[in-house]
Formats: sequence, structure tokens, C-alpha cells
Amino acid sequence: MSDFSIPLLEARNITKSYGNVAALTGINFKLFSGEIVGLVGDNGAGKSTLVKTLCGAHQPSDGQLFIEGQEVSFSSPKESRERGIEVVYQDLALANELSVAENIFLGREMRRMGLMGRVGMIDRKAMHSSAIATLESLSIEITSVETRCGMMSGGQRQAVAVARAIMWGSKVLLLDEPTAALAVAESDKIAGLVAGVKEKGVGVILVSHNLPQVHELCDRVVVLLRGRVVTELHRGEYSIDDLVSWITGAALHKK
Amino acid sequence: MTDLNESLVASGAVDQPTLTDEAFEKEQGIKSLEIERRLERRRGLLQRAQQQGLALVLVIVVCIMWASSPYFMNKYNLLTAASVVSILGIMAVTETLLVIAAEIDISIGGVMALVSVVVGLLVSHGVNIWLAAIMSLIAAVVVGAINGIITVYFKINSLVTTLGTFSITTGLAYVLSGTSTVQIQGSGFGFLGSGYIASIPSTVYFFVGVWLVGAFVARFTTLGRHIYATGDNVEAADRSGIRPNRIRMGLFVVNSLAAGFAGLIVTSELVSSAPQIGDPYLLAVVTAVILGGASLTGGRGRLSGTLLAVAILGVVQNGFALLEFSSYMQNLVTGCLLILAVLVDQFVRRAER
Repeated sequence: MSDFSIPLLEARNITKSYGNVAALTGINFKLFSGEIVGLVGDNGAGKSTLVKTLCGAHQPSDGQLFIEGQEVSFSSPKESRERGIEVVYQDLALANELSVAENIFLGREMRRMGLMGRVGMIDRKAMHSSAIATLESLSIEITSVETRCGMMSGGQRQAVAVARAIMWGSKVLLLDEPTAALAVAESDKIAGLVAGVKEKGVGVILVSHNLPQVHELCDRVVVLLRGRVVTELHRGEYSIDDLVSWITGAALHKK
Repeated sequence: MTDLNESLVASGAVDQPTLTDEAFEKEQGIKSLEIERRLERRRGLLQRAQQQGLALVLVIVVCIMWASSPYFMNKYNLLTAASVVSILGIMAVTETLLVIAAEIDISIGGVMALVSVVVGLLVSHGVNIWLAAIMSLIAAVVVGAINGIITVYFKINSLVTTLGTFSITTGLAYVLSGTSTVQIQGSGFGFLGSGYIASIPSTVYFFVGVWLVGAFVARFTTLGRHIYATGDNVEAADRSGIRPNRIRMGLFVVNSLAAGFAGLIVTSELVSSAPQIGDPYLLAVVTAVILGGASLTGGRGRLSGTLLAVAILGVVQNGFALLEFSSYMQNLVTGCLLILAVLVDQFVRRAER
């Protein structure tokens, strides 16, 4: 967890082109354990292409991906998930008719001890208390873990999806615009949640247009411009003005 | 935070929010949580009302029948009614699970007919009756597997797939039997359809057994969670490591097996095999499932609802027979109940938003 010499996730010289159009050119990118890295850039800068490449939804045309020093190549998001990379999308993959606890444990239900467990009987109490513990450890407020997910707000659902990813031991969390559709109060809660996730030694990649939030939360910010990494800014070494000028490309012209 | 805001506003990077007062935000947050809680309570009440509405309908039809026929509340009449409706009930249990998984199987009537005819054919060629029964159930499983493969792996709408297999199995049953019936007796086969234990018909035990297993699976097991998740959000199910395809495939097979078993029961009851035995069950089962509150869009449904719906259909069926109404009249009433149930379901869904 505290081994900072080997990055959790590393992209080396990642290039993605569609025909003659290069969407990403020579991206180098590292993410360490317990680190929040912001990924910012204007529309069309290549943020979502990079996210999709990192999680295996797209295959890079060139370059390598490493997880904890091991080279990997993903042919689908399923494979990246198996290696501990979880993407929490805006429109989350939660089953609306199932409860919070059932969603968190979906596919990994706890079973009763003994014969009843053998025939597949779930241990609802254990699942509930475990779900409550996870949600509490992340300071996520919901009315009850028995609430159906379809009844909750966007922010709460997002939080449940993040909690699930954490509970399943994901090492890398990719948050693609997690707060874009949320109310201010909810957006702040998600920000708090991300900070809590970091405490657990998970590496977080935060793709966001919310620059104040990125400035406040991220240890490092990677700025993309026209498919290239133009700069990497470290916490406390830049202002939001700087960030804006890097995103628009104005900083390049100044030099 | 404040100087950050100022620098932002100065840089023109963001519009100044009209109200950034933290107390205000907090208040808003508390308010929204409160509203959500209230909404949740309302939605919960609505869903319970839907179930209780079904129980109320049952009480009403029982009262009507009780008032209109002196024979209705007779113990023997009720047992007969239960015995008749149990055959439908067995299939309604597995069909409910299938509908929760967002699929449907309307080939069950054809499967019943096919099973009956296969048993008759084998018995008339001197095969032992129980061996014939097992072989006919294998035929039912094969039909279920075909339903599953075409629907799940070739991604054809299950309504279309099973309409096709319904036609095929019915046709096959008539071709094999040549519309003639075969006498089937002996080796205790009659127990399936007309046996009694402690003066309660055997079919009732079968139905109760199947229902208990189905309800247990749906409510208390991992498989149950996975069935609901499959019907609710296939992508979520798939991402969670559940194999929704396997679940749907399995449900088609189990449903077909239940239809086959129902076919055997009817064959035993009639003491003969016949290709038209599935006809009255064709729509009754689907009616029971939908009346019971299972939603055709998947993810929603309870076996307690299906049980109530089966009971309602049983009472209506029996009462109409006692009152010597024609069976067409019965179709009319079940049709009305079905449409009413769907309308109530729609209403509840809309109110939830």
C-alpha cells in the first residue's frame, strides 16, 4: 500500500488513432496507491478516450499498460475489472429493484452457515451489517440499506456504486464526471467520499470539469490538450488560473 | 474556500454562484433527504397496497361466490377447486420466475400436449409407464433448452421464440397422435392426477411443494437475487459476475419441465393422453403471473402475488362452474381482471416517479 516506487497503474506511450486521426499521442501516465489524480482537458482533448483505453473498452494502437509493474492488455472492461480497475459511470450499473445491500453484494452474496447456506440461502443480516459498516467507513448517508436503489437520488446511487467498488477490493477507481449531474450538496458529498477512498489506499482517477473540485481534491492534475499530456501540476504548486490557461493552451503560448 | 472562489470569479473560470453559503447548502441537503424519506414511505405504501388489493379482490370474489351458491363453501368443492387450479399454479410459479428475469414462455400449452402424447405413444408400444413419463419429461426439457438457446444466444424476443415452439410442439403432438387418445393406466400412475393423501388431492401437494421451493429461491437465495438482477438490469448483472444468460437459460428449462409435469398430471387425471390438454392453460398461466404483479419488463414480481392470483382464478373458475355459466363468461371475467391488474401496475409505477 505504501510502496510508492511501483505505480498501481502506469501508461507508457499510449497512442490511439482512428485511421489518420490521432486521438491520443504518446500518453505517459502514472497512478500511485492512495493518490487522487485529476484528468482535465477541454472537450475533445482525449479524456474519455484515455479512460476507455485504461479500462479496456478501447484497445490502444500503440504503447503499454502496467498494473503494479506487470504489463497487461485488456480486451474488455471485464478483464480490467478482474485486475482491480473499476469505472464508476455517470449512469451506474445498479439494479434499481434491488436494495442497497443487495446491490453492494450483487454476485458476491453472503450465505448462511451450514446446510441452508449450501442450498444458497443468503445471510441478509450479515450483508446488511457489512454494507452498513462499509457505508459508514466511507461516511455515506442513506436512509437504510434496505432502500431500493431506484428510489435514491443520483448522488446516493453514485455513492453506492463507489462503495461497492471499494468493498470488492478495487485498487484503481476511475470516476468519469462523477458530479456533473448532481446538486451542489450532493457533489460535495461525493468529493468527501473520494477523499475517504484515498485514505484506504485506493488510487483514484478523477475526470471532471469542476475545476475548483479538482484543485481541492487532487494530488496531481494531468492536463490533456489535443490528445497529448501538456503538463502535470502538483498540489499547491498551481492556481486555478494556471489550470485554465493550461487547459485552453494559453500557457503554451506564454512560453 | 472563499479566496478560492474569489480567485475563480476573478479569473472568470466559473460563474459566481448566487448562494454559496454553506449553511444554506446544508439546509438544502437535509431538506432533500427528508423529501426522499417521505417519497420512499409513499412508494412502499403503494406497493403494499398493490398486494393487499389482490387479497381484497380474492376476499370479494369468495364472498360473491359464497353468497350465490350454497355448494361453494363445501369442503369437497373447495378441495376440488384447489386440485383443478393447482395444475395451473405449478406452471405459474416457474413462469413468474421467468417473467421476473424479463422473459416469457407461452409454449407451455404445447409442451403439455407434447408430453401427454409422447407418454401415450410410448405406453402403446409397451414401454413402462414411469419410464415413458421420464422420457416425456426429457422431451419437455429439450423444448425448454431450445427456447433458451434461441432466446438467449440468438437474441430473439422470447415471446416470438416461444410462440414458434408453441406452434411446433402443438403441431407435433397432433401429428404424433393423429388426434386419437390413448388409454393410460396402471402402476399407480393415477396417483399423480387423482390421488389423495389425508383426503387432500395430490395435485395440491405438488403445487404447494413447487410454490414453497420457488418462493424460497426467489426470496432467500443468491439465485433469487440473481434472477431479479437479470430482469432488472442485465448489464449490472453481467458486471457483477452473475451470468444472466445461464440464469435465463436455466429458467426456460425449468419452466418447460414444470409444464411437462403439469402435462403428466393432466394425463393421469384423464386416464388418457390427448393432444388438446394444454389448451385451457395457455393463457391462464400468463394471466395468473401478471395478475399476481410480476412485471413484463422484468425485475419485479412476488410469488405471494402469484399465489393470490392463482387462488382468485381458481375461485372464479369454480364459482362459474357451480353457477353453470359458460366457460366463455369465465374468459371474459379473467380478461377484465388481467387488464385491471396491468392498469393498477401502471398507476403504481407512475406514482412512484
